[in-house]
Amino acid sequence: MTQEITFWVLAIIAVCGALVAVVRRNLIHGVFALMIFFAALAGLFLLLLAEFIAAVQILVYIGAVGILLLFAIMLTERVTGDDGRSITARGWFWGLAAAVAVFVFLLLPAIQEADLPESTQSIQPSVKALGHKLMDPYVVTLEVLALLLTAALIGAVAVAQGAEVNKKEDSDDA
Amino acid sequence: MSTTSLALIALLPLLAAAITSCMKCGRRAAGVAIVAMLGSCGLALWAFGQAWGMGPNKHITFDIPWLTVGSTTINFGFVLDPLTGVMAAMVTFVGLLIFIYSFGYMKDDKRMARFFCYLSLFAAGMLGLILANNLLLLFMCWEIVGVASYLLISFWNHKPEAAAAGKKAFIVTRIGDMGFLIGILYAFKSAGTLTLYDGGAGLLEPGMGGILFEPEIAAIVSLLLFLGAVGKSGQLPLHVWLPDAMEGPTPVSALIHAATMVAAGVFLVARTMPIFEAGGTEMVVAWTGAATALVAAFIALGQYDIKRILAYSTVSQLGLMMVGLGVGGVAIGMFHLLTHAFFKALLFLGAGSIIHGCHEEQDIRKMGGIWKSMRVTSIAYLCGTAALVAFPFTSGFFSKDEILAGAWASSTPIFWIAAAASLLTAVYMTRQCLYVFSGSYRGEHAPHESPQVMTLPLVILAVFALGLGALAHYTVFEKLPGEPAKHETIVIVISVVNALGGIALGWMIYRGRKLGVDADPLAIKPLREKLWFDEYYADTVGKLWSLAAIISEQLNELLIFLRDMFVMLARGLSSAFAIGGDRKLIDVMAFDGLCDWLRSLGYAVTRPQNGFLPGYLRLIAIGVVVLGLVVFWIS
Amino acid sequence: MTLEHYLILGAMLFCVGLLGALTRRNAVVVLFSIEIMLNAANLNFIAFWRFGENPEALQGPLFTLFTIAVAAAEVAVGLALVIAVYRHFKTVDLEQLDTLKEE
Repeated sequence: MTQEITFWVLAIIAVCGALVAVVRRNLIHGVFALMIFFAALAGLFLLLLAEFIAAVQILVYIGAVGILLLFAIMLTERVTGDDGRSITARGWFWGLAAAVAVFVFLLLPAIQEADLPESTQSIQPSVKALGHKLMDPYVVTLEVLALLLTAALIGAVAVAQGAEVNKKEDSDDA
Repeated sequence: MSTTSLALIALLPLLAAAITSCMKCGRRAAGVAIVAMLGSCGLALWAFGQAWGMGPNKHITFDIPWLTVGSTTINFGFVLDPLTGVMAAMVTFVGLLIFIYSFGYMKDDKRMARFFCYLSLFAAGMLGLILANNLLLLFMCWEIVGVASYLLISFWNHKPEAAAAGKKAFIVTRIGDMGFLIGILYAFKSAGTLTLYDGGAGLLEPGMGGILFEPEIAAIVSLLLFLGAVGKSGQLPLHVWLPDAMEGPTPVSALIHAATMVAAGVFLVARTMPIFEAGGTEMVVAWTGAATALVAAFIALGQYDIKRILAYSTVSQLGLMMVGLGVGGVAIGMFHLLTHAFFKALLFLGAGSIIHGCHEEQDIRKMGGIWKSMRVTSIAYLCGTAALVAFPFTSGFFSKDEILAGAWASSTPIFWIAAAASLLTAVYMTRQCLYVFSGSYRGEHAPHESPQVMTLPLVILAVFALGLGALAHYTVFEKLPGEPAKHETIVIVISVVNALGGIALGWMIYRGRKLGVDADPLAIKPLREKLWFDEYYADTVGKLWSLAAIISEQLNELLIFLRDMFVMLARGLSSAFAIGGDRKLIDVMAFDGLCDWLRSLGYAVTRPQNGFLPGYLRLIAIGVVVLGLVVFWIS
Repeated sequence: MTLEHYLILGAMLFCVGLLGALTRRNAVVVLFSIEIMLNAANLNFIAFWRFGENPEALQGPLFTLFTIAVAAAEVAVGLALVIAVYRHFKTVDLEQLDTLKEE
């Protein structure tokens, strides 16, 4: 009973948060709505008995990605975005139509009857088991992921630094 | 006698014609022509001597194959037989005398060289005609003779009458020639050969390919050939050119109208006599000749031009020759032809001499008393007249007598017509002689005798005119085909009565009149106007041709109109194709349209590539949906 | 709740994210939307792991872990690029950033 209510509440918060994030003109409002969305999703993860993932979700998404987006907004456009221009690209209707089409398409498998096993109580998820899994069968994946993150870090720094800084360094060398 | 020497008889004058055509000096040209004719005469006499040894039905032929059409060959050949021999000898001899006479007559003319060129051409054609062994070669030479006569008659081309006369001669004889040509074609179609004597297979021989076995074909062919003779020899109704041809110089009249060209027609009939006999058409020849003889004799009574009287006399005598051929065969007709050649040439040359002496005066009413002033000419002329009227024991007497005898034997009406013609001959000749020779000169200047170069040939011809008859009378029937007719006494009587009675009649009518001043009793209007033959022809045939010309002109206009319409149609069609079809259809619609369509297509295709990122994303989303649906459907 | 609920929720969230990506002009908002889409996918994964067989294999959480890591890296690089673009073109308006166009 409580699970149902929790689910419905969290689901509505998530959907609304996502919609606000996508629709708002003011980008700061959008980012905050996005963070609420992330939080709702973390709640849903908890409902689904994936505690670690919920934690990671909050840490990474709200903590890192959200802040990053905030900084990006501050560094690019006028944050309030009240210059009267349209917020949608031309032909937004087709975008809406495409999104609806995809939704309908996704519903097709979603509403089908699935042959699921009975018990769900046997899940005893633990961080320990997760750690074992990471180290043993998926260690390569872990290392590759680390490499990816490193590369992303270096790349982001290089791109964000700008062209003049790079040119200056080149001419210094020459 | 070889082919070459036979051929040279005709080729020597031809060569002379070629040489003299480039010469300017008259006397030298005359010399060339006379020398050539001399050579020709010599060869002809030799041939005559050779031919005289043969019988009437033997022929020696010399053939050269000329044209091969399929399986038939047309030969270029000559024949030597008594007919050829005697005719060639006569033509070359008389021709030679006339050439010599012309040397004197034309000596003051500026175009004398050209005159001798034409004379030689004429002689070449005539001799070729006589010698030919092939109807086609004969026809070709026939045409050469026609052309040469046109050139000679209209020689004094500054005179419009002369030019008109030459044209008339050519055109009228052309009508006859048309018949001749059709006859040749028909004969060739029926017999397959045009060679006359071919060792048994020739046209005139009763061989397998000959036409002598089929009377209908032979009759048609002979009548067509006779048409050519009618034209050339001036028989009724194609006689109208002969009197007009007197516009030419006198030697021309002598040559053409006495001895040679007009004789060509008679010669043709004589040569192709076997065809006439096979077809049974001799009587047509005889009747035509009889009619011509009588009508021409009547017209001669009404003429005042000295040469015109002689011209109509020639027509009349030619008619008698045709009668002779028709009733008696080759010998009788050719006999009269021979004697006529001599005395008519003599008469014409004599007339020329008189005209020359009277300072180019030709009207007999203005002459008179020539006997006193031009003795030699007068004597020669009277000899000729005697022969013409068939005064007893002249050559003319013998030949005309044979004709009358033959006519008596075969057809009495023809006899009486011929007899009447002979009577009239005597009358009009007496009339002419009285006008010319008796009394005193009615002209302006006194006449003078002609130079010896002109009188000598006259004398020679006079001798022949008188003596030839007796000489030839007995030999001619041995050499030429044809039987001598039985001489009934009555025929001889009538002959003599004709001659003497006619002279007496003329004497009675004309002697004592003031000639030239009083009206002529016999020269009544119809006779003076030549029985209006020319006017009649102009009214009918002339008008017919004018109508034909108008019709063809209208037809031409119609064709031009049609052509214009067609051009307009073609132009319209072409512009429709060019403008409508090409420009509109192909250029605008097809080509430009295609280009524009391609451009729009290109534009439409480039539209997605607009760098519009959300657009790209939307397409990706749609693509995913489609792909998913496809997978969904498959599974 | 049943699996279907979670799946439908996931689909809805995904489409909201897709709507934002396909409709908005601002490049940063497009990045927002991408994050939303990724999160919806993560939800699907966990839902399937929770209601599916063999939960001891821990495939759901593991995959989700990796997805979160990759998404974070991607958003970092993406935003760096957006800042670089902003520096060059002075705008992050997608309608004006059309230099990919064939001219």
